[in-house]
Amino acid sequence: MSEAAAVPSAPRRVPPIVDHLAGIVAIVVAWQVYVTATDAPAYMLPAPGAVGSALADLAISGALWRDLGFTFGNVVLGLALGAFAGFALGFVLAKSPTLERWLDGPILLLQTAPKIALAPLFVIWFGFGTTSKIVLIVSLVLFPVLVATIVGLRGVPQNALELARILKLTTWQRLMRVELPLALPEIFIGLRIGAVQAVVGAILGEWMSGKLGLGHLMTFASATYKTPLLFAAVLLTVALGIAVHVSLEAAERRLLRWKQ
Amino acid sequence: MITIEAVSKRFVGPKGEPVDALTPVDLTIPAGQFLSIVGPSGCGKSTLLRIIAGLETPSDGKLTIAATGVARPIGFVFQEPVLLPWLSTLANIRFPLDTGGAPRDRADATAHRLIKMVGLQGFEDALPHQLSGGMRQRAAIARALSYDPPILLMDEPFGALDLLTRDRMNDELLQIWRETKKTIVFVTHSVEEAAYLSDRVVVMSARPGRVRAIHDVDLPHPRGEATKLDPRFHQFMATFRRELK
Repeated sequence: MSEAAAVPSAPRRVPPIVDHLAGIVAIVVAWQVYVTATDAPAYMLPAPGAVGSALADLAISGALWRDLGFTFGNVVLGLALGAFAGFALGFVLAKSPTLERWLDGPILLLQTAPKIALAPLFVIWFGFGTTSKIVLIVSLVLFPVLVATIVGLRGVPQNALELARILKLTTWQRLMRVELPLALPEIFIGLRIGAVQAVVGAILGEWMSGKLGLGHLMTFASATYKTPLLFAAVLLTVALGIAVHVSLEAAERRLLRWKQ
Repeated sequence: MITIEAVSKRFVGPKGEPVDALTPVDLTIPAGQFLSIVGPSGCGKSTLLRIIAGLETPSDGKLTIAATGVARPIGFVFQEPVLLPWLSTLANIRFPLDTGGAPRDRADATAHRLIKMVGLQGFEDALPHQLSGGMRQRAAIARALSYDPPILLMDEPFGALDLLTRDRMNDELLQIWRETKKTIVFVTHSVEEAAYLSDRVVVMSARPGRVRAIHDVDLPHPRGEATKLDPRFHQFMATFRRELK
């Protein structure tokens, strides 16, 4: 009856978030100690407090939400479009060996080509605005999702496909109700890689052109030696990356609950 | 009724040479019969079953399945349960109905009736990984029955189960067969299972895969513990075993 009481209780552990925070606090303290001890000039290494007030200024002026929102919006849109394109193309290639043989070369070429190197070309083709940034992000997200989709669909067990045949499922039903769910764990691996790339792409696109976004904030801060602002922008990028990662993880946990 | 006329299957071997997986088979399976195919691995028994299921095309010969007016005439039970791991037991069982466009309430009623029939009450909401091997296979059988196909094909469905569970599943299958009057084609490598379950047993042998003998198993129904004590049951088993050598 009271089985739980019989089990020796595990040593009490604090939740992992506390450990993470403790590590961060330690770094901030070390940072402050170093700045105070060496009397480092603010344009080289600003104190944590200076970075904090730069962040606060950004928040008050409204620039924080504008730039963060712009970058975040691009990341989400680029990730969504890239994931969809990667999945659709991956599906077609996984289903058509002939097409895959034909496209294998071009895809390998595009996949290995550093998309970053194409970024200036995207600006020439698609202008200084949002489009070139989205295209860059899509090009970064597409390939990991494409490859993961092919791997995932190839990994669908033969007997699941045979079940679909016995039950006379339509192609669409088979895709949506059998293959896609079975390939989803693999696809999420591609999405996670793609999400990291999407943030990189968004920042990079803003470095090169435009007047908005965290990447633009960085180039502005660096050009004007506003180092605390540069630090603040970097911190915001990190926060953005974490937010994307955490929401993706939450989606994965929800969708793949059946994997235990 | 299933009519198999000179159906054969030939594969291309690793060196490009033709390999006979199945030499021409003639077989007529009347509606409502429980037929078992017994044989060693490589005898083509699964190939024959998969040809009947339409999962493989015969290299030669003719297959006719007389089941007019039925959209999905065949239920197939694989060696593994092949349940969809993200669906509950109930959702797995009603999956063919949901994808076949059956009304929700009818699908619900059918699934609940089948849950009871295969003894999975209380596990409606469990995910496949929370069920035992025997329970998973029962869910797979219920799924195959859900859309009421006149023909049930089973490919060594109990091969992975322990003997005790297997015995119980055999009795449950016989009961399902009595209740539903389906044509069942059952592939196994167990002579005991074949003799216990079937009206008719096809004994196959390997290299090349061919039909060795066909027997009518006229042991009385319903079968149970008494059948296993019947000397004729043991005679059938001994005959099959001899023919398998």
